[in-house]
Amino acid sequence: MKTLLPLALASAWNRRLSLALTVFSITLAVTLLIAVTRVRDAAQTGFAQAVAGVDLVVGPRGSPMQLLLHAVFHLGDATHTMRWQSYRTLATDPQVAWSIPLALGDSHRGFPVLGTTPEYFRHLRYGQQHPLGFSSGQPFSGLFEAVVGAEIAARLGYRLGELITLHHGTVHLDELQDKHRYGAEHTDKPFRIVGILSPTATPVDRTIHVSLASLEAIHLNWQGGLPLPGLDIPPQLATKFDLTPKTLDAVLIGLHQRTDVLRAQRQIANFTGEPLMAILPSLIMDELWQLVGSVERSLHGLAWLVVGVGLAGMAAVIIAGLGERRRELAILRSVGAGPWHIVALVMLEGGTLTAAGLLTGLGFVEGAGYLFAPWVNARLSLDLATNAFSADELRLIAGILATGLLTSLLPGWRASRMSLADGLIPRL
Amino acid sequence: MIRIRDLCFTWPGSQTPCLSQLAFDVSRGERLFLHGESGAGKSTLLNLIGGVMLPERGEIDVLGQSLSQLSARARDRFRGDHAGFIFQQFNLIPYLSVLDNVLLPCRFSTERARRTGGSPTAEARRLLAALDMDPQLAHHPATSLSVGQQQRVSAARALIGRPELILADEPTSALDPQRQAVFIELLMSEVAASGGTLVFVSHDQRLAHLFDRCIELLAP
Ligand SMILES: Nc1ncnc2c1ncn2[C@@H]1O[C@H](COP(=O)(O)OP(=O)(O)OP(=O)(O)O)[C@@H](O)[C@H]1O
Ligand SMILES: [Mg+2]
Repeated sequence: MKTLLPLALASAWNRRLSLALTVFSITLAVTLLIAVTRVRDAAQTGFAQAVAGVDLVVGPRGSPMQLLLHAVFHLGDATHTMRWQSYRTLATDPQVAWSIPLALGDSHRGFPVLGTTPEYFRHLRYGQQHPLGFSSGQPFSGLFEAVVGAEIAARLGYRLGELITLHHGTVHLDELQDKHRYGAEHTDKPFRIVGILSPTATPVDRTIHVSLASLEAIHLNWQGGLPLPGLDIPPQLATKFDLTPKTLDAVLIGLHQRTDVLRAQRQIANFTGEPLMAILPSLIMDELWQLVGSVERSLHGLAWLVVGVGLAGMAAVIIAGLGERRRELAILRSVGAGPWHIVALVMLEGGTLTAAGLLTGLGFVEGAGYLFAPWVNARLSLDLATNAFSADELRLIAGILATGLLTSLLPGWRASRMSLADGLIPRL
Repeated sequence: MIRIRDLCFTWPGSQTPCLSQLAFDVSRGERLFLHGESGAGKSTLLNLIGGVMLPERGEIDVLGQSLSQLSARARDRFRGDHAGFIFQQFNLIPYLSVLDNVLLPCRFSTERARRTGGSPTAEARRLLAALDMDPQLAHHPATSLSVGQQQRVSAARALIGRPELILADEPTSALDPQRQAVFIELLMSEVAASGGTLVFVSHDQRLAHLFDRCIELLAP
């Protein structure tokens, strides 16, 4: 090995022009594979981070997956709701440390509007148990005040004090393209932005938070999704009404003792007032990731395929170059090299090319990460550095290197066959 | 030194045998001139003596060791330890310097490295100088040399570590007659200094008088 490596390197350097292109194609393939893996890991971590610290999600009995999508990602419509009174009962249970009521249904320019209480900002956690932070402003306290997520503020360029109006109804993806299909607008009661949250890489970044009472207030003169004709209630009069909501979509719960979670779940399932259910969000999140995972897996498979193409190209280039190296191999045999030395020499060359491609590929990924990380973080709420050089990534790198070595077994075998047939004096 | 009995060899894919019923001995320190017309099987014989190929039938003993009794791996090592080769042309590895080309056998054979007396590099430089090479060329790439210089470098490579056997396959056919004689003289004096045995293959019979003994290989 010590004998052969300098020879392999010198020989490869001698053919650097033809080999450089091979290394470049390996570089691109490796860049793709590592980038895809890093984005996948970042997405998965971001996914799991979205429910950090929530022990149970409570909602009307139905599909656990739908409840999770609705309560955490604010996706889909609620088919059922739960009563406000049930929430009050839950909130006063001695096991419950804190509870956050959630009401959804409205939107603003495609982003979901979440009605909740200031508890939300106090108890919700993301990532490694970080509390939510404000990049400016503060939680809402009065009517018609809104706190917007970091991504909304960045994308729509919102500042503190700006006025926004809400749309009735959630917005589906196809409606995002078609402005005219938004629900009716609550133009009569605009909201003032009083707080902007720091980025969290979770759905919080894409949510507008208002108080439950504000949501009640803007729907005072509405019925069945439309404003009642002729009935106008100006904002300043809204306080004269009882603004306690009648229904909620979900409640997030934190327990004093995490170990009580299964018992609490059972108790809620047997709740007497109305049919409710409680889900363990991390469990359902794993299930959800399995679903999303099939896309990720095929992308990953595709990236491996590209790596395979790059390495096959390398094998082809080495094999094509063997013809010119017959004298070189015969000379090595004359000084005592055996067929296995020849195999090892060619494999070392393949390994070196793969390693060179790996290193430059990693350089590309790191460089791109360095350049675009802030942008990706702000726009896509993904933290690309989460799994950089993790044990998994090192395994992936070792896997690519092993595949490269294995692939060069083919040209190595070919070279040794050739030198065995040639003997010491190759005939051209 | 070399003992050949009843040697037969046929190249794979060929109907007629390349060598048949060949038998001769070479004694230690002898300088043998092996000639024969083109295609007689001279190069094939060197492959067999070097243990790169095995005879179809018959015996080759080198230094008292029967080559067909060694494993392929042991034959490769045996060749590296005890034999030095010089070929007709394109003897050098183009991507290595002159010095590294000379040192090549010491990379594969610790025995040869040991026998340089401790410093393979010093021995390589000594051999290059003895073979009339400009010391300045040591670090030049092998491709920058003239054909005559290349042959002298490959002679130095064959001689380094004093292998018992030097096998030269038409090393002078690319040189002009005047340089041929000079090269053979240099080669012979270095082989004599190292105490080796020389088998020199050529179809040019005019060189025969320079050697101890002459064997003609007849085409079968
Ligand atoms: N690698 C090979 N594979 C198959 N046949 C070969 C091989 N090398 C040589 N031969 C055959 O063996 C025979 C002898 O070839 P060889 O090279 O030994 O002759 P030679 O005496 O060295 O000739 P020359 O003086 O031209 O070098 C030839 O007929 C040739 O076709
Ligand atoms: Mg020949």
